[in-house]
Parts: sequence; C-alpha cells; structure tokens
Amino acid sequence: MDATNNEPNWRTEHSLHPLKKIEIIVKGKRETFVQDLLEESGVSGYTIHRNVAGKGTSGFHEGNLLFNDEASLVMFFAVSDESKIQTIIDGLTPLFEKSSGVMFVSDTEVVRLKKFVGKASEQ
Amino acid sequence: MPTDLSALRARVENAANVLGRCWPLQSYIAANPLAGFEDRPFNEAVRHARALFDGCGYPRANQLRYAWNAGAIDPDHLQERLRAHEQTGPLETLLAELEGAEIRSESPAPRADDPLNRIMAKWLAVFLDQGQAAWSMPHREKGFYAAWREVAPYDTQIPNRASLRTLPERAVDALAAGLDGHPESQWEAILQHHLTALPGWAAFIKWRVQARHDAWQAAHPITLIGYLAARLHTARALGLSVTPNNERSAANRRPPNDDEYAERAAPWLEAWEATYREQLLSDLEIAASTTAQASASPRPNAQLVFCIDVRSEVIRRHLEETGPYETFGYAGFFGLPMQYEAHGTDARVELCPPIVDPKHRIRETPTADSGDAATHDRWQAWAQAGRSLVKSLKQNIAAAFGFVEASGGLFGAALAARTLVPNWLRTGREAWTARIPQPDDFCDLTLDRTPEADTPDGLPVGLAVQEKAAYAEAAFRLMGWDRFAPVVVFTGHGSETANNPYQSSLDCGACAGHPGGPNARVLAAICNESEVRAALRERGIDIPDDTVFLAAQHNTTTDAVQFFATPALTDTQAQIVAQLERDLNTAQDHATAERAPTLRGADLKRSTADTERRAVDWAEARPEWGLSGNAAFIIGRRALTSQCNLEGRAFLHAYDWQADANGTALAQIMTGPLVVGEWINTQYYFSTVDNAVYGSGSKITQNVVGNFGVWQGNGGDLMTGLPLQSLQSDDTTPYHHPLRLMAVVQAPVDRVKRILNRNAQLRMLFDHEWMALAVMDPEQNNAVCRYQPGGTWQDESEPSASTTEDAASVSEPERAMSV
Repeated sequence: MDATNNEPNWRTEHSLHPLKKIEIIVKGKRETFVQDLLEESGVSGYTIHRNVAGKGTSGFHEGNLLFNDEASLVMFFAVSDESKIQTIIDGLTPLFEKSSGVMFVSDTEVVRLKKFVGKASEQ
Repeated sequence: MPTDLSALRARVENAANVLGRCWPLQSYIAANPLAGFEDRPFNEAVRHARALFDGCGYPRANQLRYAWNAGAIDPDHLQERLRAHEQTGPLETLLAELEGAEIRSESPAPRADDPLNRIMAKWLAVFLDQGQAAWSMPHREKGFYAAWREVAPYDTQIPNRASLRTLPERAVDALAAGLDGHPESQWEAILQHHLTALPGWAAFIKWRVQARHDAWQAAHPITLIGYLAARLHTARALGLSVTPNNERSAANRRPPNDDEYAERAAPWLEAWEATYREQLLSDLEIAASTTAQASASPRPNAQLVFCIDVRSEVIRRHLEETGPYETFGYAGFFGLPMQYEAHGTDARVELCPPIVDPKHRIRETPTADSGDAATHDRWQAWAQAGRSLVKSLKQNIAAAFGFVEASGGLFGAALAARTLVPNWLRTGREAWTARIPQPDDFCDLTLDRTPEADTPDGLPVGLAVQEKAAYAEAAFRLMGWDRFAPVVVFTGHGSETANNPYQSSLDCGACAGHPGGPNARVLAAICNESEVRAALRERGIDIPDDTVFLAAQHNTTTDAVQFFATPALTDTQAQIVAQLERDLNTAQDHATAERAPTLRGADLKRSTADTERRAVDWAEARPEWGLSGNAAFIIGRRALTSQCNLEGRAFLHAYDWQADANGTALAQIMTGPLVVGEWINTQYYFSTVDNAVYGSGSKITQNVVGNFGVWQGNGGDLMTGLPLQSLQSDDTTPYHHPLRLMAVVQAPVDRVKRILNRNAQLRMLFDHEWMALAVMDPEQNNAVCRYQPGGTWQDESEPSASTTEDAASVSEPERAMSV
C-alpha cells in the first residue's frame, strides 16, 4: 500500500515493512551457543521453542523432558534486517559443518519496525 | 558483530567438540571423557582421541592378562572374536604379542609448549580459585581475559611480557589478532590444538560457560575465547608459533605401532565383554523361567525404593532375604528436578541429573515455635567461628608462628587420634551430634507453592498440588506399581568418607554428586498429603489409607540405612518399621560381609565395624568401591533379577512392561537413566584403561586446586577422571573390569524398536558400540534378542525399519542449508 504525505499518520504506522526471518533448529546442547550468537548479532529479540521433535538426516529426535533436557531439539526464530541475519548465517554455517542442525531464511513483513531494528536502521 | 568474528565463535565451538565435560569436585559427575566422539564408532573414536590426547582406548595388556588368568575371558568367545578380526595363532602367543605391542610408559620428552602450559595452568588456577587462596587474583570480576590482560604484563615467566600491554580490549578481537596471518580454514586445527594441550582445564571452562547460573561463573566469568586469546598471545610472547606443527615435536607422538595394539586388543576386549554378557543373560533366562511359574506373592510388609546405582543391588538382595519386603530401583533423584536450600546455608544445591535442569526450589525452614533451631544455630555459629579463627591464625603471617607453637600439641594429638583410633572419634562425634538438635528434627520442607519466598533470580519455591501429583504419578508409572504395602520407604543414598576430595563421586550421580536424602524426603512427604492422594486417585493410582511413606538414606560406605524423621504411625506401621530397622541391620551385616573380601586389608570377621572405620579414617584411600565393577543396566521387573547374585555390577531400573502399553515409560527410562548409566560406565572404562590421561592418577600425589579440582603435584593439567585407588586393588591389580555397558530390557521387542526409531541420539550409542542392547521379550517366553549395530537384530533376518532413510526428509534440510 502506498503512503503519501497527505494521508493521516495512522495509515503509515500500519504499513508493512520488509525484513528477513531466520528459523534455526539445533540440538539442545547448542542452545547456549545460538543464544549468544543471536544476542551478539544485534537482533532486538528472538523466540525459543524447547522440546521440539522431528526428523532429519540423522533420524528422529524426540525429547523426554522428565529425565533428559538435552536430547530434545530447540528451535529459535528471529526477525531483523538483512545484515544482522547475515551475521547469524555466518556464525551458523561453520557450526553446521560439524554438528547437526538446520536454518531457514525467508522474507517477512512487520508492522512495528522499531521493535525489530534499532532507530538508526529505521532511519 | 563483524561477520568474521561470528565465524570465529563458531570455530571455537567446533574446536571444543572434542572436549569432555568436567564438573567441580563438589558435584563430581562421571561422564564420558570422549563424549565429543560419540557420533563415531567406538574403535574409530578411541583412535582419534589417541591422536589428540595421547590416551590408550583399550584395556592394558596387564589388565587383559589378569582377566585371562582369572578365567574372565572364555576361550571359545576369544577364538570367535579373533577369527572375526582375522587374527590366528596360539592364544598365549597372541597375548605375548599383544604385550609386546603395548607402548611402555616412559618419561615423556620435554615438549616445546611445556612452558606455555605451565604458565596457562597457573593463570587459570589463580583466576578460577573458589576460596582456597588466601590472596585472590585482582580484577577477577572483569572476567578472565580482562583480568589476565591487566596482570600478565607483570609475569616474569613471560620473557616478552611488554607485548601484552597493547592487546585489544575485547577477548574476541584479541583472539582474531592472535590468529592473524592464518586463513579461516586453519582456525579450527589451531584452536583445537590449544584446547587439547590442557584438556582438563579446557573442559572445566567449557562446563563454566554452560553453567550460567553457577555463582562463581556469575562473579568471575570465563569463556573459551578469553582463554584461547590469552594462550595464543602468551605463546607469541614466549616466541612459540601458534600452529600445531611447530609446537609439539614429532618425537612425542606415539609410534605408529600403537594402532597395532588397538587392533590386537579389540578382540580380547570383545571376548571379555561377551563372556560377562552371556553369563548374565543365561542367569537371567534361568531366573525368568523359574519365577514365571511362581504364584503371586501376598502383600509385602514394606516396599523400599532404592537408586538404580549398582551399590543398591547388594543391600536390596540381602534385605529381601530377611523378610516380606519388595524393593524397586528408580533414578536416585526420584524424578524431582529440584534445587535444595538446607537450613543455615545460602547455598542452593541442584539435586537432579546433569542432563536435567532443576525446576523447583525446596527450602528447609524451621517450624515456627522451634527452640531447637536456636540451639542448633548457636552451636553452628560457634563451630563456624572456631573454624574461621583457626584458618585466620594459620594464614596470618604474624600469627602463624605463635599459633603453631601454642597449638602444636593439640593438633598432634588430634592427628594421632584420627590415625590410630578413627572409630573412637566417630563414636564421640555421633554422641555429641545426638545432643544437638539436627535440622531434620525441627525443620519442615517448603513443599507447597510459596510465591512470597521466590527471589527474582531463583526458581519457584515449592510445588503446586498438580505438580506434586505428576511427580508421584511418574514414579509409580515408570516403576510399574500395582499395589502399595503399609510402609513405603524412598531410600536415597550418600557416601561417608574422610579427607577425600572425590567424596561427591561416591554420592548419588542422579543428584549431581550429592546425597539423595532430600529428594527422598520430598517425595515421601508429597505422597503422604491427602490432596495429592486425591489427585492421584483421579489419575488412576489408588493409594490405600493404611499406607505411609517414609524417607531414608543408604550409606553406601557402611551399608547402614537411616530413616529421616517419621510422621505419625499406626500401631501396625510402627511394628513394621521397628522390624524393618532390625532387618536392615541384618542386611547391613550381610552386605558388608559380602563386600569385605574385595577391600584389601578388611577385617572379615567384623566387616561392618571395618566399613565404619573406613568411613572416618582420613588415611583410607579406598573407603568403598563406588560404582566400580559396573557392566550392565537391567530394565525390568525385580522378579527377573531377584534370584541372581549380580555382585553389585548392575544398575537396576524397575519396569513393568504390562503397565506401559504405549512404551512412554520405557522411552523415559532408556533416554534418561540409561544414558546416564552409559556416562558412568564410560568414565569408569576410560579411567581404568588409561588412568594418567583419562583418570586422575594416584590419590597420593594429588593436590586440590582452587577448591574445585585436582592436579598432580603442584601444577599441570586439571585431572578430570577417577583416581587410581577407585579402580584398582593395588598398583597392578584391577578391581574395575573395563567393559562397555550391556543394557538388558524386559519388554516386547517391537516396543524397543519403536523407541530406538524415535530417538536417534539413543540409537547412535548402540550403533556406535558405546553400549550394547539385549531385549528379553516376555511375549516370547523371555527369549533374548540382541541389537546389532546398524539396526538389525540377532536371530532376525529382516533389517529394522530404522536403517532406511527417507529421501525427502534429507533433501529439505540440505536445501535450507544453502540459503
């Protein structure tokens, strides 16, 4: 939708802004590493799903939270601008050379841009 | 963060894959020192590890000779395994050749990086100190790299120390600078070389990084990046190259014929394992056929739940012989992932396995009108003041001389008493303790959810009713309970030993190296609550009104079982408890009599008194054997094992295949307690086959460093494994038989297949032969079915579905990786 200078402010506040989304699935023991990577990449926030089950090249993984927190998979997702997502990709690519895990990057759109990128980026 | 720095972090993470895990001494956890190699087959993993750590991965020739002479290796199994490895010849000749192929331990030639290792071990020891040092390193609150950067320029052992003054402020920048000139393709090799130079220290740092809630890590943070940055720049200041090739001289590498030793030793290990396993399975098959004919037993007087620990098997067997008692095996933290705050201390102890995060905080708090608490606290305060005073006097420069003069006689007398009459001191201490009220007598546990006691940085205090019911239900479902005796006792365990830095290695592994008594108390108290019983009834578990739950603790050194404070009992219950206490004393005598011949120098006629002496003798290097001997993990009904003498070598987890139709409980057991059993078994295995590299050497020459670890003499690497005295009867006679764990599961084989198919991590341990699996299928008359690496089952022609891969599921992640 096009926003022009003549339109009221509420119209621009509800417009969508393109950003990148990264989804990461790793073994539970890599949670700390990925969390640190996300923190230091400068993304403003992220979501963690623990005890994720699923199948990959090494077989099916299913957590049993009663007795083993490490056996399950952990899923992260974060939304930010392309350069920060690229930093995360650059940190995960070498990791996945040695340990299992996947990442998916896709285009996404958000309404409140400030929540996802700092002021400087917005300008 | 610039791109190359985020790649550098990943390279450090990858390089650290090969490191084992090392916990502080206070919560010693037995774990596989080669855990980073479990994604490879065992024989390949030990060879890779040998190249990195210089450690032997197979039993030593003298250990195999000992087993052969003792008849622990069956000649038929040996011939079969030798044929499989294409080795032929007379057995004695092969054994002699094996001995010839073994590398003799010689004093290693000095290495180029020895000075670097000495300097780094020194800085790590002073930074990581947990209250042992009288003077602490300054700037520790800034973190390792920053503190080292401030102080290292004054280290006179570093010739070019002035160069350290201009290092970057951030550790990651300093590490990048340290790697300057080397392309990214070489980073991992360089970083791994430096991490494996002092693998014990690096493993401890790795643990600290993951233990974010550890108070010492919060106060004095350290990272692998900080350590590597400091190490690389120290190397440069010493004039050493940071690349692997130049730093370790080729002369120190093991000669190529060491591979020959691995090839020659492998069939002997496999035959040793086959001999033990075949005998065990044969015993179990006989027992299964006998007990299948037995009619259902009447309601027992008492049911006792012990930890799955191998030491429980001995006392359980002897207790069952004394009367109408049933015993069960369950993980020693009783399924309660809790943090415990004992009365009179701010320390919060995690009482759950290392692969589980604690989820609740339980506090020990005095009852409102307790005068006993004041008495106890007053004595505690006096005792603490006394200890502080003595420590100050010993460490104060001016006071130390006069203090020695004045108190020498007293200390000498105490030394003589501890050495000559340790039992007398024990009796005296017990008599004294009995006069002072103990927290168990006047404290309640905060079992109910207490939001007002929560702290912002802590776990929720107490449990909601439904949470309590869920933990109780999990316990009964996993163990497959179908009835309740008038008295049920949850029995944790702990060790009693003096002057022993490895005490926690003898405590309960499922409670992170602590005694399991508090967990037993919590579960017993929960099960006595009427609201919980009502909730359980809704969940299909009906506890009779005449059942009471008690808590106790098994002292694994003396085999005594002591009850915690008991709730009000009916006359019948009181009679049963009184008889049970007498029977536990009898069982203790029988159990210690069985164990005494294995402990050198034991008084066989007074075995219980002898174990009590070992528990308090500060010169005793072998107070008990811990989990030495462990070789099997049996998941099934007690009826399967109750007729067998398993010699304290088997973990026993109760499981009733008929009460778990969908296999949920079995999946929990196999992915939790069984995996922890594998950790313990591999720790004992590797500590035995190469004690200098994977163990921690002799206790005699060990010193505690920083209150968290041990090293040999006054420096070098942090020793991460078990001491020699925990594994060998003397310098040459092994006590622990280094055999990989055999899991025996009594359940329908299809159920076990389903579980393996859904847990790739677990299946990997069997496929890579870190442990073996046999299933006794009760639907097929307990016929034994053995899992074969790769996913097939012995005596079955069709391959398991688990070996097939879904092509579609492979392509999707690969596409994603190319984004």
